[in-house]
Amino acid sequence: MNRSDNQLIVDYFRGDEKALEILIERYLKAIYSFVYWYVRNSQEAEDITQEVFVKVWRNLKRFKKEYKFKIWIFAIAKNTCLDWQKKKRIIPFSVLDNEEGLSFAETIKDPALLPNELLERQDITVTLKGALESLSPKYRMILFLHYNDHFTFREIAEILGEKLNTVKSRHRRALTMLRKFLLV
Amino acid sequence: MHPLFVLVNRIENMRKDYERLFTYLKPVEPPAGLFDKIILAIKREKELRQTRRLLFGFLSLLIISFITTPLSWTILVNQVESSGISYFISTAASDFGAFLVLWQDFSLAILESIPIAGIIAFTISIGMVLFTLRLFLYKKRLLLGYLMQSFS
Repeated sequence: MNRSDNQLIVDYFRGDEKALEILIERYLKAIYSFVYWYVRNSQEAEDITQEVFVKVWRNLKRFKKEYKFKIWIFAIAKNTCLDWQKKKRIIPFSVLDNEEGLSFAETIKDPALLPNELLERQDITVTLKGALESLSPKYRMILFLHYNDHFTFREIAEILGEKLNTVKSRHRRALTMLRKFLLV
Repeated sequence: MHPLFVLVNRIENMRKDYERLFTYLKPVEPPAGLFDKIILAIKREKELRQTRRLLFGFLSLLIISFITTPLSWTILVNQVESSGISYFISTAASDFGAFLVLWQDFSLAILESIPIAGIIAFTISIGMVLFTLRLFLYKKRLLLGYLMQSFS
């Protein structure tokens, strides 16, 4: 029987320890992947993922049923990544600013369709990985959540704690940057 | 074709393009053993939470019993002194013959003068002291370990 996330939480509080394990197993890959693409370091991604699930367990009683668990857990993952970033004192966005003070995204044209040749290139995986790594985490995460985890913009806004329009404009900038990197 | 329809179509195609692009990303597999590490970390966290609760309970009981034991002892002593029970008992002991003759009256007088409230209060606080002591003796390694870890 495939129990929903909310049902698993209810079952866990009724004493079914296995329910928590199923919940962790269900989200382990997605959360690890999300964290990995944020920090780009497997050891740190492992530690942060572990911390994310411990935080989830610690705050499980505060989880509201009317909320989507998937959004909630990704929001925790995002916050844990931000905490990690604060500890490491990384300033990734300023790297992309040019001499005139304009951000890199503002200097390039709007996103458009991807050429077919690009999607058929043999080295597309490596190129894409490189292109994503060149983006700052705030842009990379939006693309990753939208195209890899298939979250809507509204859900991404909830996860990131940003306004819907901010997410949409960041997404547009991220696509522009990604396209620029891919087509170089 | 309506320009709005063209725009929506274009956006939809773009989304599909990028979704297709992202399928080229190799899925990042979590390292083997990460699941077990998470379960272990949660288990440790659970134990830590239980120890914290135990320590809180122990300290609360310790403080309460430190306050209530001398207080209930003072109440008991005062009640014993004011009840006259000591007078009845000493009379019974000094004149055992009279006690035997009037044993029913004596017993009733002694029973009436027993400071029940004081005895109950003192018994409860002694019980609390013993329970706190027992709790410490049974869980001393856990409690001391947690305290040492917290202060180090």
